[in-house]
Amino acid sequence: MTSHAILDSNTHRDLRVASDPSADMGDGVMSCITFPDEFRRVQGEFPILFRMDAARENFHALAMFGFEQGENLFLDNGKWDAAYRPLALSIQPFLIGRNPDGEGPGQVHVDMEHPRANAAEGTRVFDEDGRPTPYLEGIAEQLGAVDQGYRGQDAFFAALKRHELLEPFTLEITLADGAKNNLVGFHIIDEAKLQALDGEAVAELHAEGHLMPIFMALASLSQIGELVARKNRREGHI
Amino acid sequence: MSGVTPPKGEISRIVIAGGGTAGWLSACTIAARARTDGRDLSVTLVEAPDIPTIGVGEGTWPTMRGTLATIGIAEEEFLLACDASFKQGSRFDGWRDGSAGDSYLHPFTAPPAGSLAPMLSAWNAMGSFASAMTPQADACAADLAPRQRTMPGYAGALNYGYHLDAGKFAALLKRHATGRLGVTHIADRITGVEPDEGGNIKGLHLSSHPMLEGNLFLDCTGMRALLIDGHCGAGFIDRSQVLSNDRALAMQVPVEAGSAIASQTIGTAHEAGWLWDIALPARRGIGCVFSSAHMDETRAADVLRAHVAKAVPGADIDALEPRLLRFASGHRDSFWKGNCLAVGLSAGFVEPLEASAIVMIELSLTMLMDNFPQSRATMPVHARRFDALFRQRWDRIVDFLKLHYALSQRTEPYWRDHVSSVPDTLSDMLALWREQPPAADDFPLANEVFPAASWQYVLYGMGHDLPAHLPPAASDPLADVRERARRMTAALPTNRAYQDALRQAAPIPAGANR
Repeated sequence: MTSHAILDSNTHRDLRVASDPSADMGDGVMSCITFPDEFRRVQGEFPILFRMDAARENFHALAMFGFEQGENLFLDNGKWDAAYRPLALSIQPFLIGRNPDGEGPGQVHVDMEHPRANAAEGTRVFDEDGRPTPYLEGIAEQLGAVDQGYRGQDAFFAALKRHELLEPFTLEITLADGAKNNLVGFHIIDEAKLQALDGEAVAELHAEGHLMPIFMALASLSQIGELVARKNRREGHI
Repeated sequence: MSGVTPPKGEISRIVIAGGGTAGWLSACTIAARARTDGRDLSVTLVEAPDIPTIGVGEGTWPTMRGTLATIGIAEEEFLLACDASFKQGSRFDGWRDGSAGDSYLHPFTAPPAGSLAPMLSAWNAMGSFASAMTPQADACAADLAPRQRTMPGYAGALNYGYHLDAGKFAALLKRHATGRLGVTHIADRITGVEPDEGGNIKGLHLSSHPMLEGNLFLDCTGMRALLIDGHCGAGFIDRSQVLSNDRALAMQVPVEAGSAIASQTIGTAHEAGWLWDIALPARRGIGCVFSSAHMDETRAADVLRAHVAKAVPGADIDALEPRLLRFASGHRDSFWKGNCLAVGLSAGFVEPLEASAIVMIELSLTMLMDNFPQSRATMPVHARRFDALFRQRWDRIVDFLKLHYALSQRTEPYWRDHVSSVPDTLSDMLALWREQPPAADDFPLANEVFPAASWQYVLYGMGHDLPAHLPPAASDPLADVRERARRMTAALPTNRAYQDALRQAAPIPAGANR
């Protein structure tokens, strides 16, 4: 159930938003959306995997937090146990809204049904005089980055498709106690095909700004081992 | 005394005469400190079952957070059990001249670190001094809590103490002392004092228990001062020529659920004294302090009722009966005589203008436990040092309270009498402060009751002129205060939201028997 509204300093003058990490506040998720501009910050903590949408038309990128639905191994008793919190989580319950024609500058919208909205002890969005608080200024900046990031990612995925750089990825993880967890239906960068690209193709990817995120996504795969270790610790297997 | 005497002067049995805030805070602090300091002390508190406690001291200083942590009570338990709310300072309405908008704040958070003079230049008496110097003024104006519930206990974004229900506070301390700290409680009346051959106290005669012997006796019997006055004969130094208030009419006004809870004590000046207003989650304690030489009881009751009608819309004034308290501002000439130490109202009392009652209890106990007498031989040395320090502290309190009156432009006889009775010690400081702002050098005592910041807030809150010669302005610290105020007022919950969430998270009152 969602109820999006344009954020406005009269209607939402006294709105307070819970900003603390919490499963009750919608952070109990196994992944969140990320985008190429954010890969550099994400890859230091989380594996980045790609997934095709339900219509099997477009790919999107995900920062991974766990191995099953609702499992977030970076959420620890109300603390976010990582040096970085992906933008898709930190902007909640806000989102970008646009005119029906999809053009023009984005507007800050708020999902009033989101559990983060209307928290009596939360952070104010506007001060008593209706001016944006430093918190909202920060959110607006983040929303801007997300907006720009989403808009720029079509070219990135088109380039991956053109060079056939994505390969299906299935991971079966065996925990210390022998239990198995599967990650099915994802894609990763095809390292062999990347290595085999000729200089012209590499130069083209570089010129379009795609080469860096490709390598960042590749590097992020080393975080899968850390994610397994977290899972083992969470289950008490050390 | 002959033959083999036991090791002399072991001070191990502590007897506390009297319950209430002073008695039970003493019992808890001594028992808890004995554990952490590795002293083998027994603590016994004797309290008459039928003597009511005064219960006026309902505001604390920020020191209370450290005291409660030392005693071992969690903040959440304390807040719930004592109906306590956060106190971030005191606001004084009508003290300068009584005109509309005459109001200033004395917040607990100090101005930015560093010399005040360049910041005074930057402020230049434009707007409120407290708002310029600390984000706390904005938080107080919006009834915000000084902390978020997710912070560790006793930590805050802003400095704070508490408003509390004194009766419930004493009850919590009593449960904690007897249940968790091994303090022995005797409910009985003290009928007499048994001296030893040197004139010290050997024991207390009780009406239905054997004599209660001890090595060190704390007099927490309140204004009766049963031991320090009744037995030891310590004299009383009357300070009423400087602080003329000697009566208070107190009442408790229930508040509606969901109503805002003020972040500070509000002291409102009237024609012959002032009114206090202390907000707790479920009630407000409101009282009228006055000088009986300038106002009679009937008039004081009228002033009180008129104020309540204005300050608490919807209050059923006719159903509220004020209680009269008589007091004399003053203190003992000696607080520690022989093996008897006076703690609390038995040591002294001044009008509750800056909530000095409970902090003086805490300071007395800190001094006692930091310098615990281990033998009879050193007891007189400890007593002399304690007396010297606390005489200075009382002097400071009297001067600091007088500062609130000394600069007033109000014209009523009461206020003119105040202005014409400023003691020399304060006059000297005021003379200095025409040339330089109050600074740490003016307050060289260890653990000053009121730090330089407090004097600064009251002095400039009362509209005292800035020194004529000031260094170039330092505006960066003040810009930083503004920016922090924006962030804090956005992030801090209201006191009411905090209290409601606290109760929702812990539906069973921590004080209830489970």
